[in-house]
Amino acid sequence: MMKEALKVGAATLTAFVLYSLLGRIEPSLLLVLNTFTLVVIFFSMLKGELFGVLLGAFCGLLQDSFSLGVFGVAGLSKTLLGFVAGYISRKMNVFPFFRNFIFIFILATGELAVWAFFYALIFSRRVITGNALIFFQPLTTAVLGSLIFALARRLKTPQT
Amino acid sequence: MPFSLRERKSVVVLAVLVFLNLLLISIQVPLGSEHTLFNKIIFSVFSPVQRAVVSVGAAIAGTWNGFFGLRGARVENQKLKKDIFFLGLENMLLLERLKFLQGDKLIQDNQASIRKTVLSARVIGVDASNYYKSIVINRGGADGVKANMAVCDKQGNLVGRVIEPVTLKEAKVQLITDEDSGVSVISGTDKVVGLLTGDSRGGCRISYVVTTMPGGREGEDLFTTGYDKLFPPGIRVGKITLIKTDGSFFKTILVQPFFSYGDLGQVAVLKERFEDLF
Repeated sequence: MMKEALKVGAATLTAFVLYSLLGRIEPSLLLVLNTFTLVVIFFSMLKGELFGVLLGAFCGLLQDSFSLGVFGVAGLSKTLLGFVAGYISRKMNVFPFFRNFIFIFILATGELAVWAFFYALIFSRRVITGNALIFFQPLTTAVLGSLIFALARRLKTPQT
Repeated sequence: MPFSLRERKSVVVLAVLVFLNLLLISIQVPLGSEHTLFNKIIFSVFSPVQRAVVSVGAAIAGTWNGFFGLRGARVENQKLKKDIFFLGLENMLLLERLKFLQGDKLIQDNQASIRKTVLSARVIGVDASNYYKSIVINRGGADGVKANMAVCDKQGNLVGRVIEPVTLKEAKVQLITDEDSGVSVISGTDKVVGLLTGDSRGGCRISYVVTTMPGGREGEDLFTTGYDKLFPPGIRVGKITLIKTDGSFFKTILVQPFFSYGDLGQVAVLKERFEDLF
């Protein structure tokens, strides 16, 4: 249990470091790529839904604490994301490259939709799209996520 | 299909966490922009990490520039020397002109006071959901930073104000481009007074200027009035880009802020209100 908690902590830290670096390089990149979403999907698919739920909650709340607004909106959407990513990836083989890409794209779109729904519901305002940059977020997450999985598979396969 | 023990455990954890998140949201909604203790704790724990990441990044960039940027350094140095010369001259002329209005002692005291009240800070983070809403700076309570202090860019243009949470070495700044911000402003020429709010898209608008009110023109500069008791008066805010009357009770006035988001590496925190000094 302690080991799992440490892993959740390390994964959350990874997402946070990536977010800090991206924001420093170019703030608009944060709209195109949500590093917390990417990390939650990646680790949830590898470790299952329980790990995903915990990691999603942590990463979401961390994202909330570094943004102005209601604390818990990203927490909620990422908790659901972690669960769905972990649960489905255990039931279906979503690891082949193309299937992986589609699966991550659907997950990222769903997470963004849930977040946008709660944001609009609470604030009664339209979600800020940043000149439609935010709509590229699921695509970027899917491309990067499937590439990371492909790279991880290649590194894991013993070289002959 | 019956759930396995592992699945049941996961569903219970999911239900608990979803419930907690919903509880967190419902607790805060009536509070508006108030921050929960949990939010403050998470910010306090992780903001030093962000500070460390940015410092490491800056150190690497500095080393890189040190090695490879030396070629441009000589030219830049000459340009800076020239700039310093002209700025020094300009400063001297302005001081001379000021002497006509105030005594030497008063000027020196005021200059010393201004230096004490301005604190330079580095931007170490941007808002995770919308970068036009807030930033995180590397100065906090230990440096004397408190909530509601005004923040300007290097050119003295208004950027926003410090808001909670303020930790020992970090603080959050609400930008004037945030929809929930509010600054009392006055136009430079026609003296039209209004409330400036952000649009969370990089621009601002002035609210509550009735259509029957004369004056106000496109291209006019805007300054803070100090009526809001938050921002010192006279700080440059932005320029009016569009004025429209579309049949409603209030005019639609769009404003382009003077501060540039891309140039927000370093900012200045005004630790005291200027009107208290003069």
